[in-house]
Amino acid sequence: MISRRDILKKTALGFGSIALTSLLEEQALAEKPLEPKTPHLVPRAKRVIFLFMKGGPSQVDTFEYKPQLQRDDGKELPFAKPKVTFAPTGHLLASPWKFTRHGQCGHYVSELFPQVAKHVDDICFLHGLHGTNPAHGGASLKLHTGADNFVRPSMGAWISYGLGTENANLPAFVTICPTLGHGGVNNWGGAFLPADYAGTPISNASVPAKHARMHHITNPQWTLAEQRLQLDFLKQLNREQVGNIIHSDLESRIHSFELAFRMQTSMPEIQEIGDESETTHKLYGLDNPVTEDFGRQCLLARRFCERGVRFVQVTHSDGKVQWDQHSDLRHGHAEKASEVDQPIAGLLEDLKTRGLLNDTLVVWSGEFGRTPTVEGSNNDGRDHNPWGFTMWLAGGGVRGGTSHGATDEYGFYARQGKVHIHDFHATLLYLLGIDHKKLTYRHAGRDFRLTDVFGNVVHDIIT
Amino acid sequence: MVPTKMRPTLCRYGPAMIYRLAIACLILLTAHPALSGEDVEHWAFQPVERPPLPEVNNKAWIKNPIDFFILARLENADLQPAPPAATGDLQRRLHDDLIGLLPGPNDEFVSPQITIHQLMAKPQYGERWARHWLDVVRYADSNGLDENAAYANAWRYRDYVVQSFNSDKPYDRFLLEQIAGDLLTARDDAQKHENLIATGFLSLGPKVLAEPDKTKMEMDIIDEQIDTLGRALLGITLGCARCHDHKFDPVPTADYYALAGIFKSTTTMDSLKTIAKWHENSLATPEENRLKQNHDALISAQQQVIATFIKKSNQQLLVEQKLKELPPQPEEKYPKAARDELAGLQETLKRLQADIPKLPFAMGVVDGKVTDLPIFVRGNYETPGELQRRHFPRALTTGRVQPIGDNVSGRLELARWIASEQNPLTARVMVNRVWRWHFGRGLVATTDNFGKLGAEPSHPELLDWLTSWFIENSWSIKKLNGLILNSATYQMSGQASLAAMERDPNNQLLSRAPLRRIEAEPLRDSLLQISNLLDPKRGGYVWTFPNFELVFNHTSEDATTYVSNRRSIYLPVIRNHVYNLFELFDFPDPSTVTGHRNSSTIAPQGLFLMNSPFVLRTTAALATRLMNEESVDRDQRLERLYALVYQRTPSERESKNGLAFVDRFSQVHNGKDGDRDSSAAWQALCQVLVSSNEFLYLR
Repeated sequence: MISRRDILKKTALGFGSIALTSLLEEQALAEKPLEPKTPHLVPRAKRVIFLFMKGGPSQVDTFEYKPQLQRDDGKELPFAKPKVTFAPTGHLLASPWKFTRHGQCGHYVSELFPQVAKHVDDICFLHGLHGTNPAHGGASLKLHTGADNFVRPSMGAWISYGLGTENANLPAFVTICPTLGHGGVNNWGGAFLPADYAGTPISNASVPAKHARMHHITNPQWTLAEQRLQLDFLKQLNREQVGNIIHSDLESRIHSFELAFRMQTSMPEIQEIGDESETTHKLYGLDNPVTEDFGRQCLLARRFCERGVRFVQVTHSDGKVQWDQHSDLRHGHAEKASEVDQPIAGLLEDLKTRGLLNDTLVVWSGEFGRTPTVEGSNNDGRDHNPWGFTMWLAGGGVRGGTSHGATDEYGFYARQGKVHIHDFHATLLYLLGIDHKKLTYRHAGRDFRLTDVFGNVVHDIIT
Repeated sequence: MVPTKMRPTLCRYGPAMIYRLAIACLILLTAHPALSGEDVEHWAFQPVERPPLPEVNNKAWIKNPIDFFILARLENADLQPAPPAATGDLQRRLHDDLIGLLPGPNDEFVSPQITIHQLMAKPQYGERWARHWLDVVRYADSNGLDENAAYANAWRYRDYVVQSFNSDKPYDRFLLEQIAGDLLTARDDAQKHENLIATGFLSLGPKVLAEPDKTKMEMDIIDEQIDTLGRALLGITLGCARCHDHKFDPVPTADYYALAGIFKSTTTMDSLKTIAKWHENSLATPEENRLKQNHDALISAQQQVIATFIKKSNQQLLVEQKLKELPPQPEEKYPKAARDELAGLQETLKRLQADIPKLPFAMGVVDGKVTDLPIFVRGNYETPGELQRRHFPRALTTGRVQPIGDNVSGRLELARWIASEQNPLTARVMVNRVWRWHFGRGLVATTDNFGKLGAEPSHPELLDWLTSWFIENSWSIKKLNGLILNSATYQMSGQASLAAMERDPNNQLLSRAPLRRIEAEPLRDSLLQISNLLDPKRGGYVWTFPNFELVFNHTSEDATTYVSNRRSIYLPVIRNHVYNLFELFDFPDPSTVTGHRNSSTIAPQGLFLMNSPFVLRTTAALATRLMNEESVDRDQRLERLYALVYQRTPSERESKNGLAFVDRFSQVHNGKDGDRDSSAAWQALCQVLVSSNEFLYLR
């Protein structure tokens, strides 16, 4: 059977047409939008695992130690609060948790993260992060897409657009149990980018990770052998029906069914974790009901990465706004931390053992942090804080055992080494070998970027 | 000689035009240093003038004026148009274009002209064409963005759009109603309500309802309205000018805030308090209002009765039981008869309260306090600049413009300015949209951007000819549909000659019909149609979700289901979590203006066609339909299937292959000695046919 490509090739050669040859090349690109692409710069990371802590974990209770806050508990904040806040807050509230030094670098970590604390020498803490939006939805969209009042492509979509996938049988961007709230699909969507680049969700946050599956990945009615019969017959029909109409779409359609068929085995195979050793299960906390759900997500993230997926997002969220402790911080944060501490430490260790941490960038962040000032009628909560918070990075070309930037003495505003969300995006792309100013997509007559007209790469943190 | 230059130049316009332009340039240059002569010279900002029909050789091919423009360009490139499309292909194309459904196996095809006429008269026409418009106005049934609150009254706007297309409401009138319906005089209540519903256009956008900065929220909502208005109706990105003079188009920041003042003087929101609430207009008739008032009176009367009864009984209790003060729950101490009587009274109250007549409301706007806004330097309201009197973008304003009075918002004047034949963009943009919806690509490929960064028109004279024709024909969309569909250009086949492949590889010159994949809604509706499941009911509220309630906030459980067999246009559009089938097949993001849908080919579409409950359900029903037809042998059954799915008879080879597939599949599915002609095997065959390119693409 002669394929459309063959016909095109023949006619192209026969007529020696330049237009047609370039058309051929264009179409070849369009047919394989996820083909691996050469980055602009030398990449330090090949892939990203983003651990999203939905709700906004408090920086002053986890990774940024503020001795003066501990001393001045109950006093007034000696400088002005932002003009617009999400909720009113009162006096300073010391952290109920003790901080101790860890690792060679001696970074302070609170007792909420005893396991992650063991890996501080692989971690680079960004204490001067800041965003613009003090509400969950806006902040989450800002973090994921760089924009909070328009629908724009998510960072994972930009990365799949920029780099393609290393495994033709898998999507380039997978998001495990993402939340539908606060921006929902837009947090992993492709907006105006071609559909190929949008994130592939594995269920959503309302489904336990154990039962989370990609949409339509299995057939309740036909066996694979039966589907093979169907697809073979479909191929035959498509070839015969083509007639005189030559179009790349028709050929791509045939390929897309074949890829879909292969995904039916490649995707579930990743989710069947029976082949992992007992040690690995334990490492990720799968043996403990508290850590089982998030641990499974982290393990899946590693398995996707191993197989060539570029960007895997893991979301710590279920039916609640996980880290959002406007009240009862002591109980809430302790519970949330206990769910993720072991799995995250396990992931870091596992990646390191397998030699994957060198070129895998792990990002840990909420959509914002929390105020050092108190909120709630019981004086036991903290409000949203996009003005200064902590994000950390590990592996993939960042300098472990370091910290960059700081908030003021109480942890309210980013003061030194400020890194805006746009700067984080620029840095993320840089680590992957992408110049954030060059990765553009023309839509509605304008060249769009993940960083819009902003973004400075934080060179200080890069190896 | 046909001009081959894509960009129209000044010389193509008459001396009168050049004079007008020169004057316009002078005025603009003196009034607005930000605008250069080049800005206003841009083709899309020129007044529309009807160009003469170009000369062509192959006159026999011409069916109507459109063809002159297409053929002239083809002949200029030494090309001939493709032969006419096969009848079956054309019939399928017309059905998809006009009603979004398949031709029935018994639909007669006398001539394209008759079919076009018949299809446009069907109510399904409005259901198909309204959906195009809903793409443009970013229609949705929920707010999206941060707090995804239900727009439970948005459907009224959707139904209004369906009715407007079905009644072929003139497009200029259609726009007047959507921008300023509340300010138009109406001949009766029905029209008044229609006008109010139409203003839903301004309110349907996504809003950051939990934005803590209320001034920012208000300005963001205004910005969304201006941005949508600009891109949807004028094809320009006015939103850019919020922070700086537009870098490419002649829209200075001053113009932006002059427009923003109009929307600042309009009430879109009732409350900005988190979670903010949008305004809705009452559609109640005086009769309904009276009923509601009566009912409310009944409720308060009953409450009075109960209060009096309790007071009296409490008194009796104190006297009869010789108490000093009332016990905590005095009702429980009443004598049985009194308790029963009270229970009866309360029961009546409960029934009344459960039965409060629901008054109809529609999302929309009304005029608010008239205010001019200053320029907010770099978009920041904390750095106000010079106050801007409300007016329209100056560079786009030619001819006499009615100034905006001191006591009105200016929205009605804005509507008239947009829906005017003087406006160089409005009609051009819409004509181009209609062309796009018929051909899959606009004469201007960037349907929502006619500015300097937009694409140049591929056939500038044709665009202008169609635009002036459209205005002369009372802005009638149906007439425009008819003109385009009756052209020889539209009725070509998709077959490409080698010469066309070489000299018109991307089909920019329209040397053949474009190949188009069917869109999400026709895909779903056709599957329901052939499986006999389609529910033909029209209009109304299909989704059942309380107004203003969050569709899934904080939790990720989406309670919205899509099991309905109604046409796709009636399914809810939930921002942040659009129905899976829609999302997979390039339904646009319902938060942004979309005149041009993508047509992607991705593996998850394959998975959907292979494994989704929807496809399995409809193909099972289709197989059952085939199996249930009496006294039909296998060959006839296959013919039936081909007639339903492809509207043609199978070739002998196709019959043989199809039946061989049924045999093979039966064997694998039912075992060697099993049923050789099982319903399952027929379903598997149905599924292959509806997954094939012949079904998925229009030729």
